[in-house]
Amino acid sequence: MIMKAQRFRSIGWLVLLALCAVAVMVLAFRVNALRSQVMRTEAKIVAMRMEELYLRTEFETRANQQQLRDWNAVEFGYVAPSAGQYLENERQLAQFARPDGPGAPEPLRVASLDDALVAQAAFPAFVSPLSGKSLAEEASAQDAPDLADHDAAKAALAVTLSKVRTVHEGSDADAPKVAKSQAKLAPKSVLLAARTADVPGKRKVLAAAQLGATKPKTAKQASTTSEARSSK
Amino acid sequence: MNTMTASTALASGRVRLANVRQIALVTAKIRALWVLAAFVFITFIAIIRIGQLGVSQGAPERTSMAEALLPSRGEITDRNGMALARAFASYSLWFNPKALGAAGSPLVKTPGEIARALMQIFPDADYDELVRRLSANKGGYLRRRVLPEEANRVFALGEPALEFPREEQRFYPQGSLAAHVLGYVDDEGKGKVGMESVLEQRLLDPAQRGTPTALSIDARVQGALEDELARGMTDTKAKGAAGMILDVDTGEVIALASLPSFNPNRSDLAYDSLVSNRVSNERYELGSTFKPITVAAAIDAGVITDLAVRYSAVPFKIGGFTIHDSHNLGASLNVPEALIQSSNVVTAHIAEKLGGPALRRTMMQLGMNERPTIELPARGFPLWPRSGNAAGDWSEITTMTVSYGHGIAVTPLHLAAAYAALVNGGIWRPATLYKVDPAHVPAGRRVFQASTSARMRQLLRMIVADGTGRQANAYGFRVGGKTGSAEKAGGGGYRKTSLIATFAAAFPMDKPRYVVIAMLDEPQATQATSGQRTAAFNAAPIVGRVVPRIGPMLGVVPDATRDVDISDISPLVPRGAAE
Repeated sequence: MIMKAQRFRSIGWLVLLALCAVAVMVLAFRVNALRSQVMRTEAKIVAMRMEELYLRTEFETRANQQQLRDWNAVEFGYVAPSAGQYLENERQLAQFARPDGPGAPEPLRVASLDDALVAQAAFPAFVSPLSGKSLAEEASAQDAPDLADHDAAKAALAVTLSKVRTVHEGSDADAPKVAKSQAKLAPKSVLLAARTADVPGKRKVLAAAQLGATKPKTAKQASTTSEARSSK
Repeated sequence: MNTMTASTALASGRVRLANVRQIALVTAKIRALWVLAAFVFITFIAIIRIGQLGVSQGAPERTSMAEALLPSRGEITDRNGMALARAFASYSLWFNPKALGAAGSPLVKTPGEIARALMQIFPDADYDELVRRLSANKGGYLRRRVLPEEANRVFALGEPALEFPREEQRFYPQGSLAAHVLGYVDDEGKGKVGMESVLEQRLLDPAQRGTPTALSIDARVQGALEDELARGMTDTKAKGAAGMILDVDTGEVIALASLPSFNPNRSDLAYDSLVSNRVSNERYELGSTFKPITVAAAIDAGVITDLAVRYSAVPFKIGGFTIHDSHNLGASLNVPEALIQSSNVVTAHIAEKLGGPALRRTMMQLGMNERPTIELPARGFPLWPRSGNAAGDWSEITTMTVSYGHGIAVTPLHLAAAYAALVNGGIWRPATLYKVDPAHVPAGRRVFQASTSARMRQLLRMIVADGTGRQANAYGFRVGGKTGSAEKAGGGGYRKTSLIATFAAAFPMDKPRYVVIAMLDEPQATQATSGQRTAAFNAAPIVGRVVPRIGPMLGVVPDATRDVDISDISPLVPRGAAE
């Protein structure tokens, strides 16, 4: 019995040894296979680099200075920039400005007072990652959580723009009419926007807009002020 | 008895038979064992061999990637990294007469047809030479360094005898650009003439050749300079032209051109006459371009303190030699007028007042008595005037002629370095073809005081603004410079019609950054130069065309609102007086 167990043990050792030898051999083969693969890849890289160098040299040869000069003489005719084409600073640039001639188109003017409001409402600068609402909105959410929205902002913009347009395009007589119709379109939103607005400047605009709906003369005054400011 | 005998005989026969059988069995067993041993041995050998292959011999000869990519000769680039010389395996065109077997013609078509077809691909080839070589039953290169595109076109001719071996060769992608700076590599792989020869060791050193060597040359500027010099040469039918652009603050050579040139890719055509470098090797009497140096030396020495002082401009005799001007410039001239109108007589008077030793010292400080300092192997030794006495001083007549650039012959490189010192604040620095690190600019040596240099900037600017250099006055670039038209010596005297026309300039004069030299060897009077031979009409216009081309590349912005302030000396020169 003992003899049998001993023999089994020794056979077991032998088998284990053989297995280990085979494993080592397999490992060595694989390592070497990988190594030759690396070598092959390196050789390929070298060949590619050589090819790249060759092509680059050909390109440089075809685009050498003399060749470029010949092409320029025949085909392009480029010349070096002259003194008149260089500007050193803004002052030199400003020298090109001229006063408007007679009949020149009016410069574009934009009412600037409500820029901040429009920008804030239509394009929220910082959006809360939790609620997906703008941070400013969240801050004022306690006062009126559901009031500041795109519609309100749009309405406010429309109303203000109508003032500007009224002064620019329309005569004194039809100015209040346009303003009125605009005000009629979205009186509710204007009021809602007025409630959300807590900045004094905005409030003034909105107040002016409301007044415009009812008192044309004041509206005109308000928009002329804004016009004067923007043209400053 | 008989029975006994018979039984014995029987018994012995049996034994023998049994023996035979046994022996046969043993033999068979032994043979089987041998076969088995052989099989075991072969198997064993095979396993060992497999193991050996798998473990140790698996990889081929190992060369590292860096080694494989290391060029056989280092690359040379310009200051911006553009390759000027490169070693790489390019195609050659080889004629193999045995490609179609030993017997019969090696060519499908006739040699004449093939040569004509090759001429269309390589227009610069020689037809007769090609026919001769294609007819001969001898293999050889028809052409080295063939571009792939050209190789494809030759391949399309369908001639098996035209082969394209790929060989490691030196190639110059820019062709003849900066040929005199680079030089070439001969058939034995040795660098010749230019930096190829100077850098030979570095370019071949395995430790260093992997990284390109940057020269101070700017290939774009070099191209522009060569282009304009070639145009000036054609316009004036000159024998040759030379030009260089030098950084006044570092001594770096930005461009250096000598025409006619050669193509380093065709080293077989690099004849001595073409290889000779006119800028660093050939020396010339550079004439009036020396006058500003004399005036600067006089200002520096305190001889000229008041520019308004007038000197006699009447020709005078000294030592049997008459010093005169090209035409009558009036009775007297002050210093700015003398420079603007390039008066030999007034310059001679100034030199006389300055004295030979002082002028000689200044010239020596400017390196005019030794070979020019540059890396190139071809450096000409100047024709330095012999001294009249033991102390080494020049005679009076020598002092006077040297003052306006005669009797002394230097290379244009000498002149460029001197002009750099003249305008950069008075520091002379050796010229170099290596890119200089701004932090390690050579200190140089002071030749002129800074105030003298400032004065010279004004005077040089005036010469271009109002004087003989007007054709170099590139708008907005504040060019300043001096013309020089010297008659060439020969036939026992000076030849009236063989001139060396030079224009030495610097720009921008309010803060000089580059010196530009343009020189024409024996320019002719042509329609393009208004029928004139002098530098004002041939060399100055070259500078006038080069500067606007290179200025923006070198970071000099043209600006008409800036200039060097010449208000203090401009009243000394009446308007329109200079012609």
